[in-house]
Amino acid sequence: MSNTGTDSNPEADPSPGTHSNAGTAVSLENVRKTYQLGEPVHALDGVSLDVPRGSYTAIMGPSGSGKSTLMNLVGCLDTPTEGTVVVDGQDVSALSGRERTSLRGTEVGFVFQTFNLMPRLNALENVALPQLFQGISRSDRRDRARELLERVGLGDRTDHLPNELSGGQRQRVALARALVNDPAIVLADEPSGNLDTETEAQVLDLFAEFHGGGTTMIVVTHERHVAERAERIVHLLDGEIERIEELEGGPEGDE
Amino acid sequence: MGPLESLRLSWRSIAGHKLRSGLTMLGVIIGIAAVIAFVTLGASLQAGVIGDISPDDQRNLYGWAADPDVEAGPGAGAQPVFSQNDLDAVGDLEDVEAAYGYAPLQTQTISDGNETVPQGDGVVASGSSYIRADTLEAGEQFESGEEQAVLNPAAAGQFEEDVEVGDELTITLLTGQQVETEVVGITDTSEGLSPFEGFENSPRVYVPTEPYYTEQAAEMGGGQQEGDGEQTGDGQQDGEQTGDEQQADGDQQNGGEGDDPQTAALAMQDEPEAEGADDAWFTAIIVEAESTDEEAIEDARDAATAYLESDESDAGEFLGDDLVVSLETSTELLQQLQDILSLLQNFIVGIAAISLLVGSIGIANIMLVSVTERTREIGIMKAVGAQNRDVLGLFLMESVILGLVGAVLGTALGFAAGYLGAWYIGLPLVYPLEYVVLAVVVGILVGVVSGLYPAWRAARTDPIDALRYE
Ligand SMILES: Nc1ncnc2c1ncn2[C@@H]1O[C@H](COP(=O)(O)OP(=O)(O)OP(=O)(O)O)[C@@H](O)[C@H]1O
Ligand SMILES: [Mg+2]
Repeated sequence: MSNTGTDSNPEADPSPGTHSNAGTAVSLENVRKTYQLGEPVHALDGVSLDVPRGSYTAIMGPSGSGKSTLMNLVGCLDTPTEGTVVVDGQDVSALSGRERTSLRGTEVGFVFQTFNLMPRLNALENVALPQLFQGISRSDRRDRARELLERVGLGDRTDHLPNELSGGQRQRVALARALVNDPAIVLADEPSGNLDTETEAQVLDLFAEFHGGGTTMIVVTHERHVAERAERIVHLLDGEIERIEELEGGPEGDE
Repeated sequence: MGPLESLRLSWRSIAGHKLRSGLTMLGVIIGIAAVIAFVTLGASLQAGVIGDISPDDQRNLYGWAADPDVEAGPGAGAQPVFSQNDLDAVGDLEDVEAAYGYAPLQTQTISDGNETVPQGDGVVASGSSYIRADTLEAGEQFESGEEQAVLNPAAAGQFEEDVEVGDELTITLLTGQQVETEVVGITDTSEGLSPFEGFENSPRVYVPTEPYYTEQAAEMGGGQQEGDGEQTGDGQQDGEQTGDEQQADGDQQNGGEGDDPQTAALAMQDEPEAEGADDAWFTAIIVEAESTDEEAIEDARDAATAYLESDESDAGEFLGDDLVVSLETSTELLQQLQDILSLLQNFIVGIAAISLLVGSIGIANIMLVSVTERTREIGIMKAVGAQNRDVLGLFLMESVILGLVGAVLGTALGFAAGYLGAWYIGLPLVYPLEYVVLAVVVGILVGVVSGLYPAWRAARTDPIDALRYE
């Protein structure tokens, strides 16, 4: 595995020990997501998958195979039509909307292809945004956000608005934001889709760094070389898991 | 998320769209400004008019005789039916302290010997207790039957050297006749002393009806009727010579008089009609009750009315279905003014309510646009852990800010306009501060009402759809 060199940075862990206990971070059992559009569309059709804590999983598959749908379920943005999704030990379907939002806010960090930063907030405020909804004080938020921006190499860009940043810088702000609440799982849906090769490499290095710090990473990608930095690749096809490809240097190689 | 955090975020999005936010607030600003301006004006008007009635004035009953069908405010259509004998008799009644006539004199100028100043109206003939002792700055009341006068500060200040007690003045009547008078007192205010005069500041000279009015009346009664340039619209200049005929005629003409009570009160400066050379007739009279308490006033009113309507009195001959005596206190007279004022205020409040409604719709509309525009932002916030109530609070806060800032700006604008108006008319400035509180509450309410639906829409946005939204 090509990323083992960067994985071993001990300082990268946002809070060591929190997520290091063994077990599964995410567990899907026979999950089905059906959209009724005249004819029912099975975006996911009976998916069962366990994602171990602290693992690095890539999800690949052709367009329309259900990758984003799967991410939405794991990220507690959505609930399955059938089956169970367990995130951090909690059955997502059994939670109320508010509890699901709380779980999402504290245990899940999102990174999107289109960055999805708040256009009127500067880099620091964007990173601090998730903590705003957790009732954390303003000064604590700012300290934490500054610390994370420094870690992604943007300590000198805290006052910049998103449109004053390059694509790679924006994605790094989004990364910092995903990590600000110290989540158990980071979900990235085509995080490098809009980036050039060099910036993509920076972002993937950061992923590896966070993974090394104990965060469970799930990354959706169309690119083989992006997927290869993970420990295993889940191949989706038409809403079903086609196969799971274990890569050399699995979980034990990272510890 | 605390309210302070919502405020910070909401304020930023409002400040990000300054022009749009300003235009959105306009409806609220105009509505609130209209109310505040008119309330300020109204309060100033009330303070200027009603605040001037001193407690002693409260025992005065202002009387006139008019056709009860003329509904043009107090004093409209009043006819000169009261003789000096009537007043003397009323004054002798048990429940009446004093009764005297009230008549503005038609004059041209006043001279202090060195200097002559024009004085067209504002020379008022009345009884000696018309000048209340407590309103005198210097000197004393004039005596009935004496050639004496009391001036108000505005009249005294007209001359290069202020007129003082003891000075001699020469008054030139409209007829050209000149009469002498000795200044015996100066009042402490230049405002009118009764509703008959109106309450505005202007130079006024008070003289006893005897001799000034009676002599002038006698002069005019000799035959010549003056065309009166200064009192157009009075409707009575060309009245008939004899009392009887004149009533019917005068009624007709007076029916068309303005309906502003203050004008009507002033319009009592009717040309006196005289039957005989030494008999003056009064259009307006003042009856003083024994005291200011209601019972005494009622007694005086009843006694005076009974006498004046009886066959014993000279007035009684004219009174009947066509002419009815009215005796009212200044409070009662002003009540009508106040009624008109509050009617006007209700009207303005109605317009303001419509303006506020339009303003609310404007805010609601712009908030809906804002929610749609920021669908993606809402999706992001929800994806990173914003609860529905956080989103609701954020958008509600925004519309409340719009309503509140609109209300505050409207209040400022309204006060400015109201004060400008009050200052222009010459009324005292009054601060109806309770309306500031009301305006703020209304502003918040408008914000909440108009923001509720858009905020609710924002709150229930599905984050997945929102994130997919382009
Ligand atoms: N809200 C929806 N309503 C109806 N159908 C939907 C909805 N969301 C997704 N689908 C359908 O579910 C299927 C899976 O969609 P999904 O977005 O998960 O694909 P994907 O694997 O992420 O594709 P891509 O690589 O293009 O992003 C698609 O066929 C899509 O049409
Ligand atoms: Mg997708």
